[in-house]
Amino acid sequence: MRVSIDSGILTKSFLFILILAFLVLNGMVSDWGRLTGGFGNLKNFFYQSLWPPDWSVLEPQVYPVCTARYPFEFTCSTAWIGVIETIKIAFVATVFGMALSFPLSLAAARNLSPGWLSFSSRFILSAFRSLPSLIWAIFFVILIGMGPLSGVLAMTVYTVGYLGKLWYEAIEGLNKTPLEAAQAMGLSQYETALGVVVPESANELISHSIFLFEYNFRSGTIIGIVGAGGIGYYIDLYLRFLQYDKVVAYLLIIFLVVLIIDFISIYARSFFTEDDDLKAPSWLEVIYGLGRAASNSSVLFRGRR
Amino acid sequence: MQVGSNPNQPILVLKDVAIGYDSSDPLVKVPDLHVFPGEIIAIAGPSGIGKSTLLRTIAGLVSPISGTVEVCGITLPESPPRGHLGYVPQKLGLVRHASVRHNVYQGARAGTRIRKERRERSIRAIEEMKLTEKSREPIRRLSGGQQRRVATARTLAQRPKLILADEFLSELDEETLSSVLEAVTTYVRENNASLLVVEHDITRAKMMADKLLVIDDGRLNPFIKGTKALEVNI
Repeated sequence: MRVSIDSGILTKSFLFILILAFLVLNGMVSDWGRLTGGFGNLKNFFYQSLWPPDWSVLEPQVYPVCTARYPFEFTCSTAWIGVIETIKIAFVATVFGMALSFPLSLAAARNLSPGWLSFSSRFILSAFRSLPSLIWAIFFVILIGMGPLSGVLAMTVYTVGYLGKLWYEAIEGLNKTPLEAAQAMGLSQYETALGVVVPESANELISHSIFLFEYNFRSGTIIGIVGAGGIGYYIDLYLRFLQYDKVVAYLLIIFLVVLIIDFISIYARSFFTEDDDLKAPSWLEVIYGLGRAASNSSVLFRGRR
Repeated sequence: MQVGSNPNQPILVLKDVAIGYDSSDPLVKVPDLHVFPGEIIAIAGPSGIGKSTLLRTIAGLVSPISGTVEVCGITLPESPPRGHLGYVPQKLGLVRHASVRHNVYQGARAGTRIRKERRERSIRAIEEMKLTEKSREPIRRLSGGQQRRVATARTLAQRPKLILADEFLSELDEETLSSVLEAVTTYVRENNASLLVVEHDITRAKMMADKLLVIDDGRLNPFIKGTKALEVNI
């Protein structure tokens, strides 16, 4: 049964769910008094241990000896080496994940494939997705030892599960008329996938792929902790030595890279939007937008998403 | 024998067909319809009466409730030979983010397996529909009329034996309408193909068709009521 929803019912329903959530939380928390003084503790921790960040993480390491010349000595720093390794792991894992997700998502989409194929493909994707990338990383570290290869394999498996699901949902949301026209003309499934599905859902496919690249970069900080390489190795190292100011410096660098990836996503997707009157932004506009984001992120490329 | 080479061999046959989405309440009943090579047949009638569903059934997208549909000698649900059936849906079915060239090429791809010929067919169809200057533009940037011309070019590049077109002349200005119509009718006549077109505007339907059928009271009838013949020559 389909129910029509107006904004009044929606607001009341949301309020009801919100109150329910508070009641559930209240049932789980035995002592609300623990919250008092929490802010003071946080303030102390922030100013004594976290701030200001220790930017020495951008200075060259003592060993091995840095051969880079001024002003590129930072390329010998742990932050640079860690970020680049994490980007490499995330890039390779995302590309391999995309290559494996594509046929699986086509097979899983109910508007393209018969029921048995769709079901079995979804089963595989769910299995890959059911474990977080950290668990996959532990699995591959046990299997093949520590290092970036374990990180790549762990992220690839997780990317397939996640990206495959996002893609088949995007494909199922496609307008059915182009697919029907292709079917009536007699195009094969493969030709329909390449000629109709990919260009028609390009916006979502690109957006999801870049999101997964960003996700893989961020989770690179986590899986590094279990020995799968990348910036996470250094974060783990400084956490063990309680050098939180250095950890904060790493986290800010990660935040900056995530922002840059987001703007690359905006640029890439702008070629596939419905806004006919707007041109794709130039790189200068994207960088200018990055500057504006600090002051008001909500106005960036309004209407382009 | 090649489809369309024998003028007495129908390209499309519908026998005792009932179409619709509810088996207890069919939208349209078609007792008998034969479409022969070189014929242009228009089906007219008001909106929501089942014209588009009839085309979708012939295109193999909806199963008939009962009866037999035979396209190019093949009975549905078996598919007709690849590329023999061209379909221009009412919503056109174009890939909005892709270029005109890409969309037209999909028709050529269905029509032939030879790459060089696909390219030649696409270029010719784009020229015929006067879209050369727009060939690199994405569909979403074109007007409604231009998009209809792209859908027509896609079908011409395919070179099918049977064209099913749903309101394919709407949104076209008078000048473009006559040139599109001429290109399609010339193709049909010269290649012994057939065109089955659905139009809500009876005047426009008359303008293009050799035979005009109307859906009246849930049944496909000749345009002139009172006659027993299903098809009426205009």
